[in-house]
Amino acid sequence: MTYVAKKCGIRFQPPSVILIYEDENKDRARQRIMPIRNFSKFSDCSRAAEQLKNNPRHKAYLQGVSLRQLQKLYSLLRGHLQGKSLAQSLEQIQQEETTDPEEDLNKLDDKELAKRKSIMDELFEKNRKKKDDPDFTYNVEVEFPQNEQLESCGWDAESDNEF
Amino acid sequence: MARDAPGGDSCEELDQTKYDADENVKIICLGDSAVGKSKLMERFLLDGFRPQQLSTFALTLYKYTTNVDGKNILVDFWDTAGQERFQSMHASYYHKAHACIMVFDVQRKVTYKNLNNWYKELREFRPEIPCIVVANKIDADMKVTQKSFNFARKFNLPFYFVSAADGTNVVKLFSDAIKLAVAYKQNSGDFMDEVMRELENFELQKKGEDSDKEENYPEEKPPST
Repeated sequence: MTYVAKKCGIRFQPPSVILIYEDENKDRARQRIMPIRNFSKFSDCSRAAEQLKNNPRHKAYLQGVSLRQLQKLYSLLRGHLQGKSLAQSLEQIQQEETTDPEEDLNKLDDKELAKRKSIMDELFEKNRKKKDDPDFTYNVEVEFPQNEQLESCGWDAESDNEF
Repeated sequence: MARDAPGGDSCEELDQTKYDADENVKIICLGDSAVGKSKLMERFLLDGFRPQQLSTFALTLYKYTTNVDGKNILVDFWDTAGQERFQSMHASYYHKAHACIMVFDVQRKVTYKNLNNWYKELREFRPEIPCIVVANKIDADMKVTQKSFNFARKFNLPFYFVSAADGTNVVKLFSDAIKLAVAYKQNSGDFMDEVMRELENFELQKKGEDSDKEENYPEEKPPST
């Protein structure tokens, strides 16, 4: 039995995660409502997301839904419980999801660094060529000639005395 | 400078004498947190990927066997496991290294700026070993490959645009690093290496015999003058 997740969202009242999926054997979309219990404005969203994803009853259906997306949905719910508007919660999530390229990651503690890494990992996974992909090549060589005519990266200029 | 003398007590478990053997080379990775050092290693090694975690040293070792000019070569890649966050590596990290892969993230300027510090520290310990500068994550923005990065040119170092995600130039990077390490080892011009070797020889001879010390004293210059 394989379920193909199509859409996943959250309902605030009564709080539940709702999944639209297709059952591979029957060729039609179905909806699954997974009620959220014991979740308050103080709850930990990543923990709640993990619990739901590993819940024996829902596991099979949620395979195609990333932990990250579930986390996001829980954050929306938490924002709602804290009295925030949907726009406010979305903006906060957006902020948490992007990394500041100017930030010196050497200065972060383990937890914060792991957070930044997982955000960056998303792009990595998106662009990743896995060795099982049909078009995978082990050795990919591309020449990018560096010469004087190229436009500067802009990171050398202000520091001519340094570099 | 050094936080500890090379080969100090704190690294007893890490036997680095093997790197003196002809067929062993040590290649170190340097660069800021999250520039993709480990991801590059994993992409290169794929199935052969079996890291050895040495958490006491905040260090990960990757072993790799290859053939260079008909000779079997055992490569140890040294990767940091968070130690870079001290903005400095333990002296034993550099000890006996034969080549260095220095990585920055093309998406983050600060990691490029910090190359300067990494390079300075590298040269304090290993003034002569080959060092490759690596611009990683070009998949995030291919336009950067059309731009010039002067750091490598300034120090006359080889420079590669790579992507651990799509694999661009990863294998080339590592195979070239291995070749450079082997070549360096064969004609090790590193002054400190020679000094160390002479000191070791000298110690051995003193222990052995005291009589014809003069004749046995290891000379670098050819005997005829």
